[in-house]
Amino acid sequence: MNFDGKIVLVTGSSRGIGAAIAKAFAGEGATVIVNYVKNVDAADEVVAACKEAGGDAIAIQADVTSGEQIQALVDQTLMDFAKIDIVVNNAFKPYTFDPDNRKQFWDLEWQDYQDQLDGALFSTYTMCQAVLPALKKRTQGSIINMASDLVARPTIPYHDYTTAKSALIGFSRNLAMELGPLGIRVNCVAPGLVYPTDASRKTKERVKEMIVAQTPMRRIASPEDITGPVMFLASDWSRFMTGQTLYVDGGLVMK
Amino acid sequence: MALRAGYLPGINANDVEWQTLTYDRDGQAIEVSVPLLSDEQMKGLSGRIKEASRQHLKSMAVSDITATIDATIARLLDRNDTYRQQAEEYLPLITGYDAEMVRLGLTGYLKTFRQSELRRFVAEDFVNPKILDEFQPLPKGGYGRAYGPDLLAHIWAGNVPGLPLWSLISGLLVKAGNIGKVPSTEPLMASWFAHIIAEIDPKLGQCLAVVWWKGGDVDREQALLNQADLVMAYGNNDTLHQIRDRTPITTRCLTYSHKVSFGMVSKAALDTGKAWEVAHQAAYDIVRYDQQGCYSPHLFFVEQGGAVTPQEFAQYIANELDCFEEKFPRRSLTIEEASGVAAWRQSEEMKSFSEENNAVMGDANGAWSVAYSEAEEDLAPSGLNRTAKVISVKQLDDVPARIAPYKAFLQTVGIAAAPEELQRLAGMLGAVGVTRISALEHMTAPEAGWHHDGRFNLLDLVTMTEVERSAETAAEAFSDYVD
Amino acid sequence: MTEAQIIETLLDFIAADGTTDDEFSPLALEIFAYQFENNIPYQRFCRQREKTPRTMQSWRNIPAVPINGYKDLTLSCCDPEAAERIFMTSGTTKNGVRGKCHHPTLSVYDTSMITAFRQRFMQEHTKLRMGILFPTEQTMPNSSLAHYLALALNEFGSDGSRYLFNDDGLDHEQLFAELDRAEQTGKPYALLGASFSFVHVMDKMSHLGKTVSLPEGSRILDTGGFKGQSRELELNEFYDLLEARFGVPRDHCINMYGMTELSTEFYDWGNATCPSVKSGPHWIRSQIVNPLTGEELPKGDKGILVHCDLAHFNCVSSILTEDAGIELDDGFLLLGRAEGAEAKGCSMAVDEFLKAAQG
Repeated sequence: MNFDGKIVLVTGSSRGIGAAIAKAFAGEGATVIVNYVKNVDAADEVVAACKEAGGDAIAIQADVTSGEQIQALVDQTLMDFAKIDIVVNNAFKPYTFDPDNRKQFWDLEWQDYQDQLDGALFSTYTMCQAVLPALKKRTQGSIINMASDLVARPTIPYHDYTTAKSALIGFSRNLAMELGPLGIRVNCVAPGLVYPTDASRKTKERVKEMIVAQTPMRRIASPEDITGPVMFLASDWSRFMTGQTLYVDGGLVMK
Repeated sequence: MALRAGYLPGINANDVEWQTLTYDRDGQAIEVSVPLLSDEQMKGLSGRIKEASRQHLKSMAVSDITATIDATIARLLDRNDTYRQQAEEYLPLITGYDAEMVRLGLTGYLKTFRQSELRRFVAEDFVNPKILDEFQPLPKGGYGRAYGPDLLAHIWAGNVPGLPLWSLISGLLVKAGNIGKVPSTEPLMASWFAHIIAEIDPKLGQCLAVVWWKGGDVDREQALLNQADLVMAYGNNDTLHQIRDRTPITTRCLTYSHKVSFGMVSKAALDTGKAWEVAHQAAYDIVRYDQQGCYSPHLFFVEQGGAVTPQEFAQYIANELDCFEEKFPRRSLTIEEASGVAAWRQSEEMKSFSEENNAVMGDANGAWSVAYSEAEEDLAPSGLNRTAKVISVKQLDDVPARIAPYKAFLQTVGIAAAPEELQRLAGMLGAVGVTRISALEHMTAPEAGWHHDGRFNLLDLVTMTEVERSAETAAEAFSDYVD
Repeated sequence: MTEAQIIETLLDFIAADGTTDDEFSPLALEIFAYQFENNIPYQRFCRQREKTPRTMQSWRNIPAVPINGYKDLTLSCCDPEAAERIFMTSGTTKNGVRGKCHHPTLSVYDTSMITAFRQRFMQEHTKLRMGILFPTEQTMPNSSLAHYLALALNEFGSDGSRYLFNDDGLDHEQLFAELDRAEQTGKPYALLGASFSFVHVMDKMSHLGKTVSLPEGSRILDTGGFKGQSRELELNEFYDLLEARFGVPRDHCINMYGMTELSTEFYDWGNATCPSVKSGPHWIRSQIVNPLTGEELPKGDKGILVHCDLAHFNCVSSILTEDAGIELDDGFLLLGRAEGAEAKGCSMAVDEFLKAAQG
């Protein structure tokens, strides 16, 4: 896959899945905007790794729950690179996946849901609004939103997190409908449990083993497992796909 | 296989000088031999056509002629017929147009020449079509009959497949003998048509011929102009000027010059439900024959105030053109054509630097481009070959005044608007010189019997012979039953 | 880089002899970045083309401005008011507007011209007695060609070199006197001027039945084509006539190909065969592109010429011409202007429309 000359914006890409996605795009020649909130050192490392991999990258700080900061991120990208080809909405509100200490439904307050909706949906909504004029002008572009396979199979009921990701899939399908006539595609990638990431570090061995046992491919996903489907949806190889969700969990969910 | 263009009744092919035209598109070379007649041969051919037209054609009933044309068209519509198969195989190679577009285009076009349509065609111009067959009573008194010329010369231009059939069929319907000169860009279709006519009705086949010479060969052109009773010529103003100047003063010369057509989209058509479809239709008109037709749109005036803005409408068209590129890829362009498109695109880009909201969209391969403008722009042609401009306007009612100065170049307007708007706009557009108003998606497929450039296709070709009442009355005096 | 730094670097680069792509590209990119930053209309153009210095890797990708751009845009890095000299385009103008090229200093232009002219026209000579068939720089202060010829005369003309042009046009009397003198002295002579001026001169000579045989080593430089200013000649006919009228063999008849929108000129090695192969010095490079996609075409394919002239640092270095050409190993063939084609059908094309609308 050749992403030479493509400008790829990945939110929350200083670490975890986002960082893996950024490096994978750079490895195929893309120029990546590495977005981060706090950890400038981690972001710089990703940038260095991207350049090492043969692409180009810059790090831009922006909190994706702030409309203003997202607009500034898009403006700066356009200033430096004059266009945006691909947007990967990967950032989300920090969430700890700890099956033994999760909140049960009756422990949850609406604010918990609101926080997750803000992290997954509001940020994606805001990014799409900000980036759309640039994509519409070219009548092309690919938006990829990161969901979760928990949407289809809530192995552990992380109510607030999974509800927000479910909303994200609905959001993406509607957006795909609206933007199809303008040549812009919108798809989701729904990974299973990915290890190791900061978010999954607390997941117990026992849970992982349980998931492995039920997964046809008999292992847990690594961040690098997620990058292929993301790049596929970003590339012309999927040019006739929109509104889809690709489950990347070794076959745990089959849809 | 060597393809041969032309149709020369009464001339032995071995006596003719044949030239070879080579078409090389995307590595698929194809050769067509075309006949180059000597002055003598042209004179002889003209004489024979005139004679056959007087002897045979003039005594045929119009209904017999339409029946033969209908049978000819039926063969060209029949996908098992060898001529049809050749058309489907070779016309795309010669013109570069997408094969599927040519196939669909041919069928749609030929359908307008079936018998029922031909009768409508005649009835459009003649209230009483029998007037072409025999003397008919005239409302003012006396009798009249319409005669077509003995020799109608057609000088065709362009590469839109089949276009010459229009005037050739018109000539036959008024019982004219016809000699048509095909352009190098598409010499085959008219030739095949003539061959089929001759196969179906050999006598009628004596009444038409298809010839060729290289554009600009003044001597050969003159040889035909000298013989013709009526000349119909197509082309740019310079070419037409020369032809008219060289046509003998006693011979009428009808000219069809290049035209500019455009689309208009009312805000009534720009709600979120319908705008996409309207854009699809507009894009189809752009794609058909890569805007080479006089009825092809160069630009679209799009009204503000709908749910979908003119700018978004332009983006819809852009995406539709991108989709059509998959279905009907644009033909490959020569370096000169590419320069023309590039020059247009660049000049639109330049404008976008001074006009904040102007934009130019296009794909990386240059297969299409759409310019968008909010400035007060006048009518101007696009770069052709799938380039169009969307101009945002406050209200469509302002458009006719803007285009009025270009009266001489206007032809078709494709309109998407509500009924009362259509009525109002039609009146305003007709007043500034627009001769045809169609729906979008139909701009490039005029209906049977349309009046090309607002003229009467058949009526323009005939002369009336009138027997006045005085002659009738006077004749009475000389009858043998006079008292 | 600042303007002063650019100028200094350029003068060094021109003085250096022979450079590779590896040396050309970095400087081209630096100059591009300078123009992108300081020439706002050009920056807009590049953004429309989705190119920025950040995404640029080779001089080959630098967005080339169509030469018509000079008629619509002011393309200058320096304050246009502060320019030492403004050269204006001639020939066909759009709505009577002439494109302007601003030069904050002529030092780079002059060095470029002098260096290449010495190599390509003077060759074995250091000085030649020259006759110029073109108005003076004072008469045409905005003509880059007038300045070019003035430089040639001042830098390389020996004593007695002169303009053979007066207020009424070509000064035939003085011209013929010079030619006769050169013939008698036997010293090489150089005649320089616009191609159409040569046509006028030769028409006059033909009328008078005059031919001269200039001494061995003499040479002729013509430039600019006929541009509707004289009758149009086939190139072969033109050089045959030059040889016949002036006794200068065709391989000593040099054609210079330049334009206002450049600060460097191309030359051929004589016109023994036409079209001749043109090439320029090491600070200008050319590409043959598809005008629509900007894509570079393979060697041997006909396309449109793009030039990247580092010496034209204040405006834009990369321009898309309207000239068709073919790339060869040692330069390119110039095939004349690529006119937009007429529509293949009955639709109206832009050029025809403009012609018709203007009556």
